[in-house]
Amino acid sequence: MEQIINPYILYGLCAIGAVGVCLALPRRGRSPQIVGALLAALAGAGALAALALKNPTDLPNIYFYIFSAIGLGAALRVITHPRPVYAALYFVLTVIATGGLFLVLSAEFMALAMIIVYAGAILITYLFVIMLATQAPKEGEVETLTGYDTQAREPIAATVVGFVLVGVLTSLMFTSVQGEPPAPNLQLGAGERAAGAGLAVKRGGDHPDALLAEMPRRVERAVRDAEIMPEGHTFRRLEGGRLEIDPQARTVTVVDASGAARQLPLPDDLVVTNTERVGFNLLRDHPGAIEIAGVILLMAMLGAVVLSRKQVQIDEEAKLHQQQRLAGSSAGRTGGAA
Amino acid sequence: MSLMNAAYLAQTGYPELMAAPTLAHYLLVSALMFGIGLIGFLTRRNLIIMFLCTELMFQAAGIALVAFGRYHLDFTGQTFVIFVLTVAAAEAAMALALVVLLFRSKESLDAQEWTELKG
Repeated sequence: MEQIINPYILYGLCAIGAVGVCLALPRRGRSPQIVGALLAALAGAGALAALALKNPTDLPNIYFYIFSAIGLGAALRVITHPRPVYAALYFVLTVIATGGLFLVLSAEFMALAMIIVYAGAILITYLFVIMLATQAPKEGEVETLTGYDTQAREPIAATVVGFVLVGVLTSLMFTSVQGEPPAPNLQLGAGERAAGAGLAVKRGGDHPDALLAEMPRRVERAVRDAEIMPEGHTFRRLEGGRLEIDPQARTVTVVDASGAARQLPLPDDLVVTNTERVGFNLLRDHPGAIEIAGVILLMAMLGAVVLSRKQVQIDEEAKLHQQQRLAGSSAGRTGGAA
Repeated sequence: MSLMNAAYLAQTGYPELMAAPTLAHYLLVSALMFGIGLIGFLTRRNLIIMFLCTELMFQAAGIALVAFGRYHLDFTGQTFVIFVLTVAAAEAAMALALVVLLFRSKESLDAQEWTELKG
């Protein structure tokens, strides 16, 4: 089967990227971090360029390149920055870039939810913990970086493992995504509705515009705003207040005072939005998962409260060891500085 | 053929089907971000940064899920990202409470201090 990228080019790029990331990791003394970051960027750009040259007609949007460059660069900085606070702030940048990628993928709701929940809530928790769990420098002492932040653990082995994984993942992906796009499950929009929707129905799914029947208020408002309701007519109601909508023809059934029915075409700008689709998918198709998610969140909250209320006694042995270690490391630090 | 030609760089909006090579771009970014997160988890010794790297891997999984959802025009991918967010939030709360607890007993965030745990 033909690969999207030649596998040898892919493995070569993985090797370059591994060398770059390995050089970019923090270690004692001066390390060629910038050279490493440039090498890694070169490898990433090379992989994207190889993809683009092989398939010049199916390129993603230009914003994809911008956001993925920001996201991957910030991700690299998260793992290479010696100061935890800066690493957390670079992670915020990664989250925002990921939100941008979601926007390019027309997932507006998830993009904003991601930024609010991750950058707004989770990262603030991280920053609080970084503040709580750092020793303040003593008076008159210059703040120094701790040894465990400036030295990477097993950088070579870890980058080899990481990039072998990336190589395997990408070569598998690029082999298996060959071929025509599959028939869509859902289709919407004003113009290109018919083909995809037909496929969706043929595959046993609901017509995507059938969701409009579940949203009678929205249809009513759209019809009222478009001022297409004939004089003296009302919507015909089914059980539960649902409207009678023919998704194939995009019409809604209206009745006049005598009960005579007619089909009213829906306004063209009435489409089911991304947020509504995600909402229906979440609440109608996955109600059990929501319950489980609620239980998980409750348990996590209780667990965090119980854990952080616990009193910790530093035992004498550990304290002694601690003092020795601190004395040793500060001596080593001044020695290193001199 | 110019690569910077706007016609070539126009991934169209939602109703359009997405081509497989376009999906491959997103999967590549997702795989790279996952790899960076994994390398960070293995190399960094600060407990907080290690957990930050797991969040990086969650992000990568989220990109792959949303991209596949877009490719198949199916919204389950986006719904799943909501659950990924939920699990990430729960994990962050628990893990950070543990980190604070560990820091209070040894005054250090070094993961190698905790090679032996008793009880």
